[in-house]
Amino acid sequence: MHKLGRGHRDKVQQFMAITGSSEKAAVQALKASDWHLEGAFDIFYSQPHIRTVTDSRHLEELYNRYKDPYVDMILVDGITLLCNDLQVDPQDIVMLVVSWHMKAATMCEFSRQEFIGGLQYLGIDTIEKFRDKLSYMRSELKDEQKFREIYNFAFGWAKEKGQKSLALDTAIGMWQLLFAERHWPLVDHWCQFLQVRHNKAISRDTWSQLLEFAKTVDLQLSNYDEEGAWPYLIDEFVEYLTENGIVQRHQN
Amino acid sequence: MSAQKKRNFKIEAFKHRVELDPNYAERTWRVLEHAIHEIYNHNASGLSFEELYRNAYNMVLHKYGEKLYTGLVNTMTGHLKEIARSIESAQGGFFLEELNVKWGDHNKALQMIRDILMYMDRTFVHSSHKTPVHELGLNLWRDNIIHSSKIQSRLLDMLLDLIHRERTGEVINRGLMRNITKMLMDLGSSVYQEDFEKPFLEVSASFYSVESQQLIECCDCGEYLRKAERRLSEEIERVSHYLDVKSEVKITSVVEGEMIANHMQRLVHMENSGLVSMLVDDKYEDLSRMYNLFRRVPDGLSTIKDVMTSHLRDTGKQLVSDPEKLKDPVDFVQNLLDEKDKYDKIITKAFNNDKTFQNALNSSFEYFINLNNRSPEFISLYVDDKLRKGLKGVSEEDVEVVLDKVMMLFRYLQEKDVFEKYYKQHLAKRLLAGKSVSDDTERSMIVKLKTECGYQFTSKLEGMFTDMKTSVDTMQGFYTSQYSEIGDGPTLAVQVLTTGSWPTQPSAPCNLPAEILVICEKFRTYYLGTRTGRRLTWQTNMGTADIKATFGKGQRHELNVSTYQMCILMLFNSVDRLTYGEIEQATEIPPSDLKRCLQSLACVKGKNVLRKEPMSKDIAEDDAFYFNDKFTSKFIKVKIGTVAAQKESEPEKQETRQRVEEDRKPQIEAAIVRIMKSRRVLDHNTIVTEVTSQLQSRFLPNPVVIKKRIESLIEREFLERDKADRKLYRYLA
Repeated sequence: MHKLGRGHRDKVQQFMAITGSSEKAAVQALKASDWHLEGAFDIFYSQPHIRTVTDSRHLEELYNRYKDPYVDMILVDGITLLCNDLQVDPQDIVMLVVSWHMKAATMCEFSRQEFIGGLQYLGIDTIEKFRDKLSYMRSELKDEQKFREIYNFAFGWAKEKGQKSLALDTAIGMWQLLFAERHWPLVDHWCQFLQVRHNKAISRDTWSQLLEFAKTVDLQLSNYDEEGAWPYLIDEFVEYLTENGIVQRHQN
Repeated sequence: MSAQKKRNFKIEAFKHRVELDPNYAERTWRVLEHAIHEIYNHNASGLSFEELYRNAYNMVLHKYGEKLYTGLVNTMTGHLKEIARSIESAQGGFFLEELNVKWGDHNKALQMIRDILMYMDRTFVHSSHKTPVHELGLNLWRDNIIHSSKIQSRLLDMLLDLIHRERTGEVINRGLMRNITKMLMDLGSSVYQEDFEKPFLEVSASFYSVESQQLIECCDCGEYLRKAERRLSEEIERVSHYLDVKSEVKITSVVEGEMIANHMQRLVHMENSGLVSMLVDDKYEDLSRMYNLFRRVPDGLSTIKDVMTSHLRDTGKQLVSDPEKLKDPVDFVQNLLDEKDKYDKIITKAFNNDKTFQNALNSSFEYFINLNNRSPEFISLYVDDKLRKGLKGVSEEDVEVVLDKVMMLFRYLQEKDVFEKYYKQHLAKRLLAGKSVSDDTERSMIVKLKTECGYQFTSKLEGMFTDMKTSVDTMQGFYTSQYSEIGDGPTLAVQVLTTGSWPTQPSAPCNLPAEILVICEKFRTYYLGTRTGRRLTWQTNMGTADIKATFGKGQRHELNVSTYQMCILMLFNSVDRLTYGEIEQATEIPPSDLKRCLQSLACVKGKNVLRKEPMSKDIAEDDAFYFNDKFTSKFIKVKIGTVAAQKESEPEKQETRQRVEEDRKPQIEAAIVRIMKSRRVLDHNTIVTEVTSQLQSRFLPNPVVIKKRIESLIEREFLERDKADRKLYRYLA
């Protein structure tokens, strides 16, 4: 918020006070309405995630249902149970979206703060409400902006705690999952290339730049710019595709 | 206002006009006319200048100037027409003579007439804006003689014919020519140009066009250029003898255009005689001539320069890629030096030390030296060879000359850091083996490198020298100390090397013989006694030993061997036979080194102090070694072992290159950080350019490597990508 000017800050405060939304939602709505409060309200209320008041007792109960007996966190077993209750496969990508909303630090675990805070934000305090929200969350993946955020979030979430890079196998798994939602035909070649040629962990920069690559460069790589400051792995990938005749590039 | 009546005194003009009797005017004119006739008839001597002048004066005074002038024109014209007829009737060669003579006459007459009519010139002519007498005379001559239909073309044809004859070798009357052309010049520069110079230039152009076509078919390049040069000087001489000086530049550019500019490409590329063969055969005179001729025409010199450059690049490329030439590094470098000398000489002797040619030479060398990535190594080996033995007996100035020439090659290297690595290795070997011919020469080389690259380049090298010197002092101290009472045990000479300065070699310590161990420990104690906080590690792979050996018939020899070899040989003091495996176990020398040592001890003729069974060159696990009783050598001192620095084997080369690449990474990163710190935000391509230019004095960084380093810095959060423009990077404080 410190990046906003005084006028904007005041508006955000007002907005939050009136709608009870989070700062993030307030800023989002105001930006979208070019900082007009009325317009922002319209946008906010026309969006499905209307902030409803959640019962904090219910939330506590829910948390305790899934929490690990020895540690104050929801671990693998708890998550499996949760998925069961939600009638969702634990590998389902919607769980990633859930984790994103919860701002979970690492996959396969939720802290108390993350779980409860996330559900509050989503306006969920029962399993039924949770289940209902799932289709909405799936739809969020179709939104370009949100997909990018979820994609970038996935890196930090999927990697080991304390590591800077993401293990290759995990990265490949995540890519398969993510690019099933937002189709990128070259994803299989990419994964193959990495296994054959790279065989090492993936850096954050490479991860985030890959999405840009998938979005901007066409399948014949005709608009791929060698001087485009792409990470070197992507440069090598292009070479790999050309060498193996997967793509015919006109070298000038 | 009171009008005071003034009495104005007027002086009335003299109203009395003296009218000249019209007859008087006519009579006066007749006198003058007669005088003009006489002058033209070479009868002037009987005339009175004073009287004629007075007559003319009077006419003008009494306003008969017009009559006088007109009369003059008519009279002169009449005479000139007569003269024209006489010239026209002259036959053949006499035409010009006659013209010349008559011109001379006319000038004399004109002068006299002008003198007589001086008053008219000054007053009447001036006020009525008529042409003055002298000029009038010239114009009349021009109109009536030169431009007369029967004379004009004949005159031009004669002149051009004479010039043509002279060009084809005949002797002509230059004096006459000079007079004629001077006449034309006197008549006005447009007369000279229109009536002579222009046609002259045209005719010359076609003459030289034809001649150059003929010559180019039958002459080789050198001959052609000689002929062209001769023609050029001929024309210049011609101008000085009988043409207007301003014609020189015009005629020379005609010759240059026809003979040189039009045939430049063909000349330069002529097979077996063109520029390339002149360069190959060091034909200084021909090259010099070509340079001097070609510099007169546009693009002449750049043509020579381009052909020279591409030839040089091809030759150079061959020099550095021919596998035959790559076998001996010293020869390789010598070839490069010779080539450089050759071209330096050519540029000095034939190309006037032209700077652009020097630059072309430099850029060509830079181009092909770097085509071979072993050039840095080879240049270092060349220097190594010279500093070991090659310069023995050579005077100091000559030494400096050779080293300076090598420095020239060094400057062309793009990968100076590779050279540094090799130089360090080779220097270390020289110093430790005591193989330098002269300490001064070594230091001189270091100074040159320092001047070229800065002190960082050479600080470690200097550290090596310091260590050597310090070691000498240390040894002195050791032997005067209490630790050195050994009796008749082995004598030790230690060189203590500071780790950072010397090239790192992984040292696997071997098992030293007991006697050696004892003295080594004594040294260690002595050394560490006076210096705290240091750790000594014996580099058994770098030492040497002198062993006294007695063979079968009592012959004694002193063997100079490496430390490893010494360990091996000492084993035979207690046993006669050992297998490879046993030796390996006892000494713990690394297998690859061990095999090489055994090979040089047992398989080399004249140095086989050990006998091997079987006699093969290869060493197998079960091979047995015996002390060779039958060893003979005509030398008392036999040297086995320490080999001079050789060019590296493939695996060694790979290793060195890898180390160089590793060293480059932090340098690239440091450059990136430096640049980003000051510029804050920068796009990818600019970073690459800046980094390259910052590091160019050491090596040429690979853009892919730079990219990887940037990504590594992003990973370590020194930099980030700009959120909006992915091609921009931002410095993170």
